[in-house]
Amino acid sequence: MSATTSDTADERFLRLPSPLRRLLSRPELGSVVGAIAVFCCFALVADSFLRASSLGTVLYASSVIGIMAVPVALLMIGGEFDLSAGVLVTSSALVSSMFSYQATANVWVGVGVSLLVTLAVGAFNGIMLARTRLPSFIVTLGTFLMLTGMNLGFTKLISGTVSTKTVADMEGFTSARALFASTVTVGGMHIKVTVLWWLALVAVGSWILLRTRAGNWIFAVGGNEQAARAVGVPVTRTKTALYMGVALGAWICGQHLLFSYDVVQSGEGVGNELIYIIAAVIGGCLITGGHGSAAGSAVGALIFGMTSKGIVFAEWNPDWFKFFLGAMLLLATLLNTWVRRRAEASK
Amino acid sequence: MTPSDTRTPLVELSGVGKHYGNVRALEGVSLEVHAGEITCVLGDNGAGKSTLIKIIAGLHRHDGGTLALDGEETRLSSPREALDRGIATVHQDLAVVPLMPVWRNFFLGSEPRRGTGPFKRMDIDLMRRTTRAELLRMGIDLRDVDQPIGTLSGGERQCVAIARAVYFGAKVLVLDEPTAALGVKQSGVVLRYVTAARDQGLGVVFITHNPHHAYLVGDRFVLLKRGTMAGNHTRDDITLDELTNQMAGGTELDALRHELRRTP
Amino acid sequence: MARISTWVGIALAGALTLSLAGCSSTGGKRAEDARAAAAAEGKAAVNTPRWTFAMITHAGDGDTFWDIVQSGAKQAAVKDNIRFLYSHDDEGQQQAQLVDAAVDKKVDGIIVTLAKPDAVKASLARAREAGIPVVTVNSGSAESKEFGALTHIGQDETVAGEAVGEELNERGREKALCVLHEQGNVGHEQRCDGVAKTFDGTLVRLHVNGTSMPDVQSAIEARLQSDPGLDAVVTLGAPYADTAVKAREGAGSDAEIDTFDLNAKVAAGLEDGSLGFAVDQQPYLQGYQAVDLLWLYRYNADVLGGGRPVLTGPQIVTGDDAAELREYTRRGTR
Repeated sequence: MSATTSDTADERFLRLPSPLRRLLSRPELGSVVGAIAVFCCFALVADSFLRASSLGTVLYASSVIGIMAVPVALLMIGGEFDLSAGVLVTSSALVSSMFSYQATANVWVGVGVSLLVTLAVGAFNGIMLARTRLPSFIVTLGTFLMLTGMNLGFTKLISGTVSTKTVADMEGFTSARALFASTVTVGGMHIKVTVLWWLALVAVGSWILLRTRAGNWIFAVGGNEQAARAVGVPVTRTKTALYMGVALGAWICGQHLLFSYDVVQSGEGVGNELIYIIAAVIGGCLITGGHGSAAGSAVGALIFGMTSKGIVFAEWNPDWFKFFLGAMLLLATLLNTWVRRRAEASK
Repeated sequence: MTPSDTRTPLVELSGVGKHYGNVRALEGVSLEVHAGEITCVLGDNGAGKSTLIKIIAGLHRHDGGTLALDGEETRLSSPREALDRGIATVHQDLAVVPLMPVWRNFFLGSEPRRGTGPFKRMDIDLMRRTTRAELLRMGIDLRDVDQPIGTLSGGERQCVAIARAVYFGAKVLVLDEPTAALGVKQSGVVLRYVTAARDQGLGVVFITHNPHHAYLVGDRFVLLKRGTMAGNHTRDDITLDELTNQMAGGTELDALRHELRRTP
Repeated sequence: MARISTWVGIALAGALTLSLAGCSSTGGKRAEDARAAAAAEGKAAVNTPRWTFAMITHAGDGDTFWDIVQSGAKQAAVKDNIRFLYSHDDEGQQQAQLVDAAVDKKVDGIIVTLAKPDAVKASLARAREAGIPVVTVNSGSAESKEFGALTHIGQDETVAGEAVGEELNERGREKALCVLHEQGNVGHEQRCDGVAKTFDGTLVRLHVNGTSMPDVQSAIEARLQSDPGLDAVVTLGAPYADTAVKAREGAGSDAEIDTFDLNAKVAAGLEDGSLGFAVDQQPYLQGYQAVDLLWLYRYNADVLGGGRPVLTGPQIVTGDDAAELREYTRRGTR
């Protein structure tokens, strides 16, 4: 009383060796090809692109997006969006700065308070989503607008201006700066510490996604929420945790912003949330959820960094900057899709 | 395997009913599920089969009558509770995540882990091996358990879902129209697994609107018509023709035949 | 859902945080309060009726320059017993609607900026018909009289740009980078155009994403790395000057950083030499004068300027002047 799957399926599989097969089916493959293409393009067009110092600049630009792209990608795999991610970074920096200043406290206290507040906003997003059952697009759009207003309003109310007061002369600033905004020099290349944070987040994100039970739940919740619920996966808890992950990323970026520039402009961050989503999608995350990777989002962030800075290195007409950026991103995405289709066809 | 009335049924519904507002979805339904037996629930569309499933699966609470598990009267409050009490439901949409590999789907919600503290990770080797072994035991030989479950055929997916239920120690297997969307050969595959599960000692509730499939495997038959019970038989006291007749509504079919006959 | 222990934990964390308040020995609000607070404010110096003046500018959200304009306006409002209303929108159509709203509210005076003059033309005509006096500030000295404003206070962006160009010439710069941080901002384009007009060397432009400082920094850094011929970087907003200084360090360049507008960091930068010069148009004065001149008109039908714009700049600020202005920039009035 046994039955086997059709032999043709086995045949197809046996054509390729197992590790190569696994490699081709990884979601990041297409984006890596895209990254190589973009790199080659700018290496050819801009002479200064290949220098060590230039690569350091590109890595910095990529890392600032990449830190957020990892949790945003995980959230997208879980089937949801967060439009408030961009301004949450600014909120985090503002809370740190204003709390430390107004309480004349050690700057680390402000950093700690900021972490709690930012995580609370993340939890708020998750709980609102569960309660209202509205699409996450709508819920986080509401949060986005509220945060934008609060950023401006509270800063004006507490500091009297649209930017915060300097905290550079307060205790703890130098040590906090060392953690969040310092530079390491490696053989001619200046690597900002955000690159290290980025790599760490990619490693942690990948491990969670691929090796832990939580990762299984994330894939399931994004792939088929009903099915996940039916087999006992805690859907609300998973999604709330994902939103708090985005908040954690925002906290890291926000502290970097604060300790790098000291004075925080309250109107910043608007528009960045879409860039994080773009980086995740280029890296292979499906907009509908259930498929993607943290490493892919890193590649996506790298492509974005290379493109936006490559255009500057190549000294293309600045008025057309946004056009070039959009065109290159589209090309990278098309390449990504094409490669993925080819990989799937060979399966 | 002859049905035995002396053992306590795994699941027993007595006069169960369910109302949605003014709509009476179920009323006065009774059925028994014994270990090692298959109880078929038959009925046309709208007969109340899905409501019945949802009550047994713990998705809904019944309004009238009693639900007894192992002789003990209960009210199931959630699917999780039903699962914990050994009732595994394979829904029509199968509760699988199409993009995820077979081995991840197999253990979804009950992933085995190793390691401690923040380094707790899934025991992926165990999961892969077990998935292959369990499917093999049920007769499916999957070379690659990494393929997304969406690439399997409908029948294969049903079988994975059943194998999953059997592995996780289900005592009662509830199948919601497993052969509804399948062709003859695929249906045969599924029916074989259903009997394999029965042979493992599970009790099976098999919901269908196809009397032929039901008669192939069933030990007991419960007919539902518009929310009420239209018949409760064991295999011994009904034939396939009678079953089909009762399901299709014998008199109504006669009238229809009369109406549709060509006029000379 | 939340257990008792979670709430206890949160309460303890809150208490601990509050107890840590005040634990920095330097800087912070305590230091600010300790500094002789030259906060003017005060009380009304006149007995005229409490008129309402509305200021509607083309500022974007969170623009520090307009903060200073508002400070000046508010100070004059306090002195002249004026109820001061402020609104802003960087889109021309929306700004016009805000002007309409002020006219509907029957305010006693309107102050506008004419960055996008055609958009607000009709609304200002309505104001004129309603008998509301209008004063223009900052942008639009050319159109001001034609639109029926009493006077224009400020300094044309183009004129400021020209001053920058001339100063760059004097310092012997040969290739300058104009950093535009807000695409489509007419004032910014005018500033760069002004520089290009008088600068003898080459002026190149760079568009950056002003809502992301790291992006601004890395873009300027990239440009400095790719073009070693650049020996001056001109930013169009005070906050971006500091970012440009960081970019210069990262690129290992020795280009001079100059900027439009002042703030505390710019004043400090001028003093310690990391910035070359700043061009200031005295925004506090613009806001202050606008309100005060409207009051004078209402009180005494006085008009300043003789039909010509009243200039508040441009003023080139270098390291020598910066020391004097330091305290004022910290206060947010320069």
